Amino acid sequence: MYKLIIITSLMIASSYFSCYPQEKTKITFLGWPDPGGGFEEVISDFEKENPDIDVEMIKGPTSTDTRETMYVTSFLAGEATYDMVFMDIIWVPKFAKQGWLIPLDGWFKEERKEFLPGDIQGSIYQGKIYRVPLQSDAGVLYYRKDLLEKEGFMPPQTWDELIKISQKLQNPPHLWGFVFQGKQYEGLVCNFLEILWSFGGDIFDKKGNLILNSPQGVQALEFMYKLIHTYKITPEGVTTYEEEETRHIFQEGRTIFCRNWPYMWKLTQEENSPVKNKVGIIRIPHKEGKNSFSTLGGWGFGISKFSKNKSACIKFIKYITSYQAQKKLHLKSGIVPTRKALFSDEEILKLNPHYPDLYQILLSAKPRPVHPEYAQISDILKRFIHKVLLGELSPKTALDKAELKIKKVLKE
Amino acid sequence: MPKSFDEQKFGLLLILPSFILLGLVALYPILRNLILSFTENDQFIGIKNFILLFQDERFKSSLFNTLLFCLISVPLQLFLGLVFALILQQRFFTRGFVRTSVFLPWALPTAVMAVAWKWIFNDTYGVFNDILLRLQIIKEPLAWLGKPDLAFFCIILAEVWKCTPFVTVILLAGLQSIPPELYEAISVDGANTLQRFRLITLPLLRPFLLVALVFRTIQALGVFDSIWVLTGGGPGGSTEPISLYVYDTVFRYLKFSYGSTMVIFSFILSLIFVFIFYKFWGDRQIEY
Repeated sequence: MYKLIIITSLMIASSYFSCYPQEKTKITFLGWPDPGGGFEEVISDFEKENPDIDVEMIKGPTSTDTRETMYVTSFLAGEATYDMVFMDIIWVPKFAKQGWLIPLDGWFKEERKEFLPGDIQGSIYQGKIYRVPLQSDAGVLYYRKDLLEKEGFMPPQTWDELIKISQKLQNPPHLWGFVFQGKQYEGLVCNFLEILWSFGGDIFDKKGNLILNSPQGVQALEFMYKLIHTYKITPEGVTTYEEEETRHIFQEGRTIFCRNWPYMWKLTQEENSPVKNKVGIIRIPHKEGKNSFSTLGGWGFGISKFSKNKSACIKFIKYITSYQAQKKLHLKSGIVPTRKALFSDEEILKLNPHYPDLYQILLSAKPRPVHPEYAQISDILKRFIHKVLLGELSPKTALDKAELKIKKVLKE
Repeated sequence: MPKSFDEQKFGLLLILPSFILLGLVALYPILRNLILSFTENDQFIGIKNFILLFQDERFKSSLFNTLLFCLISVPLQLFLGLVFALILQQRFFTRGFVRTSVFLPWALPTAVMAVAWKWIFNDTYGVFNDILLRLQIIKEPLAWLGKPDLAFFCIILAEVWKCTPFVTVILLAGLQSIPPELYEAISVDGANTLQRFRLITLPLLRPFLLVALVFRTIQALGVFDSIWVLTGGGPGGSTEPISLYVYDTVFRYLKFSYGSTMVIFSFILSLIFVFIFYKFWGDRQIEY
C-alpha cells in the first residue's frame, strides 16, 4: 500500500516538474494541409530564432468554407482556440464587424507600401487594417500558345478578339473556345465581377452607392449569356464548373482559353501534362475602349481578440510575411507572394518566367466589395447570374430583382 | 411490493447519468435554438422571425425543394430496398458477394460518393454522357448538373443509390425474423407466391418498413452533404434544401436568430411527419 502511494506521488511530481521548466508561449492558427511543407519550414525557422515561442499550425481541411466555419465556431464560443486568423480576403469585413479581430495599425503602417496595393485595400475595414497579406491571388486568362501561333493570332486584348479567335479555331465538343467558373458558387461572382469591371460597371461606386443595375451591368450579363448561347464558344456545362473542372478541360487540351487563378500554371507545366510548354498567361480581356481588371483573392494573417499572447502573434506575423519567409513559402509551396519586391527576385524569375506578367495583373486586381454583408450580397448575385446563364431570366430582369434584394439586405 | 419499488428506484438511479447526458446533448441545443429564434441580440422579438420566414421567397423555394426531394426519393428507396431485400433473402450462388456489393454504397462517406457522382455527371469528361452517347440515347452531351430538372434528377439518383442499402439492411433483418412455419402453413393452405407476400411478408414487415420510413424521411428532410457537393444548391437555387439555407444564414451571414427560426421550423416539420406515420401506420400490434 505504502509503495503504491509513494509511486503515485512520485509520478504526479515528476509529471508536474517535467512540464514546469519549459514554459513557452504557445500560439496557434488554423491553416490548410500545407502541400510542399513551406509553412512547416518557416515555422521551425521562426522557433529557432525565438526559442520562447511555440507556433502550432493546425492543418485544416482544403475547403475554405469549412475552415471559415471552424473559425466562426470558436469565435462564437469566445475561446482562444486560434490566436491568429489565417484568413481569406473576403472574411475581413465580416469578422472585423463582429469585433473578433484586433486592428493592426499600431505596428503595420510604414511597411504597407511594400505590399501589392489590392491586398492592402482588401485588408482594411472602416479605416483600420486587420490583416497582413501573405498570399496574393487574381484571375488570369490562360491560352494555348501553340494553337494561336499556328494560325498567326496574337493573344487577345479584348473580348471581341477572344470571340473571333475562338470561333475560328474551335471544334466543339472536342475543342471549345473559352471556359470559366460558372457554377452557382463564389467563383461565379469573381468571374462576373471581372467581366462587369471590364465593361466599365461596378457593384458599388466610390461613395458606396449601389450601381449594379446599370447599362454596363446589363451588357456584362448579356455578354456572359451570349458566350454560351449566341457565340457558342463556351459549353452549356459551364454552369456546373468550378476551378478544377475548368483546369481538367484545359489541361486535356479541350479548350483554347480558360479563366483561372495562378495556381493552375504549375499544374499545366508538370511532366505528364498534355499541354506542357503550350500555355501562355495574359490579363483578362476587356471591352473595346475599357480596361481589364482581375478579381483579387488571397490569404493573410489577423489576430483574434480572444488571444492571450498578442505580442507573440505580432512577432510571428512580422516574420512569416517578411521577404525571406515569403520567398521560402513560394519556393516550397508555390505561394504567390504579396511583397512587390519578390516579383523581381532572380531566383523566383528563373522558375517563373510568367511572373512579370502576373505582377502587372496583380497590380490592377481589385478586391470584391469590402462589406460586412458581402456573403449575402454575393449569394444574391450568384443566384441571379446563374439564372441568366441558364436562360431563365433576361439580364435586365435579373439585375432588377437582384438590386431589389441587395437593397433589402443593405437596409437591415 | 416494497422490494420491487426499491429496485425501481435503483434502476432510475442507474439510468440517471445517461439521462442527464442525453439532456445535455439533445435537449439543451433544442431549447437554446428555441430561445434564439425568439430573440435578437438578447432582445425578445416575439414571432417576427417566423413572419419574415413566410415572406422569404428563398425559404419558400428551399422548403418546396426539400419536400419534393423527400417525397420522391424516400418512396423510391423503400420500393427498391424491398425488392433488393426480397432478392437477397433467397438462397443463391454468390449471395454473400452480392449482399456485400449491395451494401457498399451505404458504407461510403456521402461527400466522397457525391464527388464521384459529380465527375460522372460532368458534361465534357463524365461517364454518364459517354455511355448515353455510345448507346445513342442522347444526340449531344447534356449538362446534367447545369439544368434545374436534370440536376434534381441527379441529386435524387445519387441519394437513392446511396441510401437504398440502408432500407435493404433493415428489411432483410425483418424478413429473417419472420418464422418459416408461417410460410409452411400458408403453403399447405394452397396460397401462391403473391398471396404469401401479401398475407404474410408485407404485414409482418410493417414495423420494419416504418422504422426505415421514419429514418429515411428525417434524413431526407435534413439532406445536406450530397447536394452541397453536387450542385451547391444550384442551378439558380433550384436544388437548394432548407439545410443549405440554414448553413449559409448561420455560418456565412452570421444571422443566428433567423437561422434558428428555420431550424425550429424544420424540427416541427419532421415531428409532424413522424407523428403522421405513427398515427396511420404504427398503432396496430402484430400477434403471431
